[in-house]
Amino acid sequence: MSNKDDILKRYRANVKEKFFDEQSGKTGYDMPDLSDIKATTYSNPLVQFMKMTEMVGGQVLEVDPGRDINALIRELFPDAKEIASNLPEIKIATRNPDTVDCASDLNGTDVGIIRGEFGVAENACVWIPQTMKEKAVCFISENLVILLPKSQIINNMHEAYKRIDFDEEYDGYGVFISGPSKTADIAQVLVMGAQAARSATILLMPE
Amino acid sequence: MKIGLFIPCYVDVVYPEVGIATYKLLKHLGMDVDYPQNQTCCGQPMANAGFEEQAIPLAEKFEEKFFGERSGIANHKDFDYVVSPSVSCTAFIRLNYPHLLKGKTECEAAKKTMDVVEFLHDVLKVKHPLGTFPHKVSLHNSCHGVRELGLSSPSEENIHKFNKIKNLLNLVEGIQILEPERSDECCGFGGMFSVEETAISEQMGIDKVQRHMKTGARIVTGPDCSCLMHMAGIAKKRGLNVEFKHVVEILAAGL
Amino acid sequence: MSTAHSNAAKEFLKNQTYAKWHDATFWAVRTKRDNMAYGLDEWEQLREKASAIKRHTITHLDEYLDQFATKAEENGCVVHWAKDAHEFNEIVYGILKNHNVKKLVKSKSMLTEECEMNPYLEQHGIEVVETDLGERIIQLKGQAPSHIVMPAIHLNHNDVGELFEEKLGSEKGNHDPTYLTYVARLSLRNEFLTADAGMTGANFGIAETGDIVVCTNEGNADMSTSCPKLHIAAIGLEKIIPNYDCLAVFQRMLCRAGTGQPTTTFTSHFRKARPTANPMHIVLVDNGRSEWIGTPDHWEVLKCIRCGSCMNTCPVYRRSGGYSYSYFIPGPIGINLGMLRNPQKHSGNVSACTLCNSCQSVCPVKVNLGDQIYRWRQQLDKFGTANPQKKMMCKGMSIVYGNENVYNLVTALAHWANLIPSPLINNGLNPWADGHKMMKFPKETFHSLWKKGKVK
Repeated sequence: MSNKDDILKRYRANVKEKFFDEQSGKTGYDMPDLSDIKATTYSNPLVQFMKMTEMVGGQVLEVDPGRDINALIRELFPDAKEIASNLPEIKIATRNPDTVDCASDLNGTDVGIIRGEFGVAENACVWIPQTMKEKAVCFISENLVILLPKSQIINNMHEAYKRIDFDEEYDGYGVFISGPSKTADIAQVLVMGAQAARSATILLMPE
Repeated sequence: MKIGLFIPCYVDVVYPEVGIATYKLLKHLGMDVDYPQNQTCCGQPMANAGFEEQAIPLAEKFEEKFFGERSGIANHKDFDYVVSPSVSCTAFIRLNYPHLLKGKTECEAAKKTMDVVEFLHDVLKVKHPLGTFPHKVSLHNSCHGVRELGLSSPSEENIHKFNKIKNLLNLVEGIQILEPERSDECCGFGGMFSVEETAISEQMGIDKVQRHMKTGARIVTGPDCSCLMHMAGIAKKRGLNVEFKHVVEILAAGL
Repeated sequence: MSTAHSNAAKEFLKNQTYAKWHDATFWAVRTKRDNMAYGLDEWEQLREKASAIKRHTITHLDEYLDQFATKAEENGCVVHWAKDAHEFNEIVYGILKNHNVKKLVKSKSMLTEECEMNPYLEQHGIEVVETDLGERIIQLKGQAPSHIVMPAIHLNHNDVGELFEEKLGSEKGNHDPTYLTYVARLSLRNEFLTADAGMTGANFGIAETGDIVVCTNEGNADMSTSCPKLHIAAIGLEKIIPNYDCLAVFQRMLCRAGTGQPTTTFTSHFRKARPTANPMHIVLVDNGRSEWIGTPDHWEVLKCIRCGSCMNTCPVYRRSGGYSYSYFIPGPIGINLGMLRNPQKHSGNVSACTLCNSCQSVCPVKVNLGDQIYRWRQQLDKFGTANPQKKMMCKGMSIVYGNENVYNLVTALAHWANLIPSPLINNGLNPWADGHKMMKFPKETFHSLWKKGKVK
């Protein structure tokens, strides 16, 4: 018998022995109804999202319609030399995660620019399905910039998990990111920039 | 209402005045109180130490004493309630007697035994003024009162805040009720724990007494004499100027 | 009368400055957690749902495991099943060997600690680099974690500073946590870039999609899997949950309960390997779990999501530290898991509980941790690990309490104890008297007063 069969058989037998109920003929507990969860919602999810982004150590900017996004990013990171992005509207990129030979070529990126699909008001999570060959750009960059449509802010993770989807081409990975990488592993002192991006800037894009 | 008074072993021996105050209070509230003699211990110390089987004969004895046909003092199942000035003994009876007595006798004790605070608060719903006690007190929320009998809302849970002990103490004239920081952190008694884990038990006791004293009160009151006994021993050893009183002593003060 | 835990705790408390810091630090985490719990009106409803989802899932886990594995294989992953720790280590080594891996970077996994994987792989010539900062610190120090979420909490910034001076060549005397974190970042960056494989644990496995979900603040799970060509995920059977709707409940609670943050920085969903990498390997590990589900009193430990909140709230853990427990997971959940693993070896932890039940009130999935410790105590005698003195004491109590004549005789004499000179009491044979002044026994018991009609 394979390991899988062996383990599942033992598990099943032990569950049966302990949880089989003769009266109902059922084994174990039922799945609870999750539709009645009274999840927190916000009168203005955008305001809450911005507040939470700052609370988790991120920066957030509302981008005015017509604003030159490339110029804005340059302004925000005047010293940046290596900029990585595969987004068509980003013209200042010096590297492209789709065309690098390998992920480690993205090391030394000062600013990585990626797109988020939606933001979650309760905890500042931004859903980022992989849409590039090398997802390393999301983590290896010193500073991370996420372009996020301002209209796509939802209340909470229940709503979030109802709508997440992976990319059609790169369908193996997606991540919620909330603020910059952080740690308090040395003496409980909070430090931004553990192993991934040291800063996270959310640019809220107009329609 | 016919009440059987349960005075746990260590209250009987070390704090008879708490038994007296409980009796006084119940009589004052018009209860028909009886004390079945020759009661001993509920069995909690042995069970918490890991020897439940030593507690079984005591559970049987308890059931017989208060609800048995041969109890002699009351007619069979005559008591409306058994009331006790000890949250942890009450909790032990309520939560553990049904399985200790399983297959032997139907357990009345678990259904009818109440701590005196919950009895006054929930059954008699006492709302009128009680005694007088013109002092600052720091309230000790004993773990088994909080998390097993539901005398107050546990600080861990996001539920409507309430405290039945506080509600009752508020009926006492002149009293000022304070609560320590970490209002329901354990004092470190834990029965056999205080003997097996002396260092931690002592540290927890010191921390708790200090937090009580930090409120400015010099009287600590709570619903369980075992916590109070532990803290009193710790405080005395260190010469700290603080007194410990069971809640009923304060509720009955001046009656 | 002492236990392995109580002896270790006594040592821990000798350094009062550190002990106070430890207690205050974890209480602060508990307070942050409270703020998060109070901040959501639906918190108790979420706990109820989380507990019910877990009860359902672990009593139908055979179906969900099968669904998960089938889905993961459809996604192109290679799924392995390990019945115990040894088999797990062999499987992982086999995969690494097949891919000619010399260096493995890994994110934090309590499962690999449980299986003692690192020493096994190192014996077989694989370099293993922990990449969670706390785990990296204790790896460099040659220690085990003292907490499951904050593994290096027992070290202060000077300890880490000196360690980094020696191991990573940091500036002498610069023990600033920000600087030290940066030093570790540079050193680990190099490890990520030169590793041949990355390993993650899993906070959740999603049966419906085959996703492995990993929650980190540092981004190290993502760094570990973004550069190397091979990703191995290690997952305990009980980490499988049905679907995203369930995940939403747990994602909202895990970090709020564990560290008092509204979310971890990264909630990463791994479904298949990156385009340029080798297929992803998933190793499902039993190692006792299929037996634990059948235990009468302890099956609910399988609900645990390893948030660590029971440690943070435990008044005993906070005052005795992770190393005072013999199992690698300390605190209330660790006491219970250790006993399931090996009761003979870990009975010494069972004393580390006042039965205050704060752990089960704090637990986001409502594991009845305190009740289970109570149940373990009842079994020590059977395991042959009960303290004989304690057993005698309980038998003695039973004799005194069991017979009212004996009880009345003993209690009538109790007040004579007041006359015993205190040197005889404080003689080390009476553990209570070490920390307490003995109580004064009144002349008459309540019972005696009642009999004489003095109770009015």
